[in-house]
Amino acid sequence: MITINCYNKTIRTFFIETKIKEPIYIGGVPIYELYLEKRPNEGHLYINGVRSKALSGGTNYQMIEPVLLQYFDEICQMFSDNTDMDINDESYLPTSIRVNGKHVFLIEREGTTFIMNSELGLNDIRQISDKIESVFKVKIIPLLRRVGLYG
Amino acid sequence: MVRWELAKFKVERTSEGMLNSVLYFETEIVIPETRKAIVVIYNGKQFTVGGSELKQDYMLYEIKSKLERLLESSLIRELSKHSRKVEYLRGFSLTKIEVYPEGTLANMRYTYNDKFLEFGSVLIIPPYKDWDKLCKVPLTVETNAVSNIKSFYEILTEICRSAVRIKVDVDIVNEVINTLLRKIGV
Repeated sequence: MITINCYNKTIRTFFIETKIKEPIYIGGVPIYELYLEKRPNEGHLYINGVRSKALSGGTNYQMIEPVLLQYFDEICQMFSDNTDMDINDESYLPTSIRVNGKHVFLIEREGTTFIMNSELGLNDIRQISDKIESVFKVKIIPLLRRVGLYG
Repeated sequence: MVRWELAKFKVERTSEGMLNSVLYFETEIVIPETRKAIVVIYNGKQFTVGGSELKQDYMLYEIKSKLERLLESSLIRELSKHSRKVEYLRGFSLTKIEVYPEGTLANMRYTYNDKFLEFGSVLIIPPYKDWDKLCKVPLTVETNAVSNIKSFYEILTEICRSAVRIKVDVDIVNEVINTLLRKIGV
């Protein structure tokens, strides 16, 4: 699961979990399970709670930071309010959108049944999901993979 | 014509083998003034109203052919792609029917074997005018036909791709009810 918080059309926070094949080293320990995050009011990438530039290979991570945040901003451009999103980490499609804390879109799974409740029309949902899917598949994921931060 | 409300609308076709299929239809129409419910059933052989047989004529033939058309929906065809079993059931029904002074809203439920797709609310009576409106208004969507989020989104796309056909289905429901009411003289 990937989570994003947008505020005033810009990225405020994100959180991505991933497993990688080639480990990165934190405190000399090889790490295969990563938690990538951006914290509120900071323009930096954190990896498992450590600021990326403090890690070996940090220069590479630091170099991608502005571009990475710009890509997330592309998604946030669609939302002018305080918006939280949950995004499926296989399809990169949203499963939940909350605006100012209130769900405007939610897909839940009960047993074998998928249930979608929405205050948005299907056209809007498809337009939003197409954008998110495209930014992740074409921009964010390839960028993270290039520096070894995504499996 | 007196004021009436729709309480039930369900059509199914069960199949056993290639040649043996049975169409079943049931609708319930309520007359609010008298609080009387009119139940019309077709059991594959005859139409009955409150248990009394309706005389076969072109009107009933027309209703049967419209009911068959409901079962040829592109959404049922879509559901069939997700079922590995040979067809034994296909169905169309209205659920969660809500009657307001301005009109009747309901969920449209399409079934193929054990797979279903249900969405709503859709304005059924009077039928909504603009087919393009379907995907511009909030809908709930429920299905057991897919196994992941990606496929669920494909179903959403299929609903919008089938918007014209869904509008046709709503029109058919209205035509069936109106023809029935004419036939039974309400």
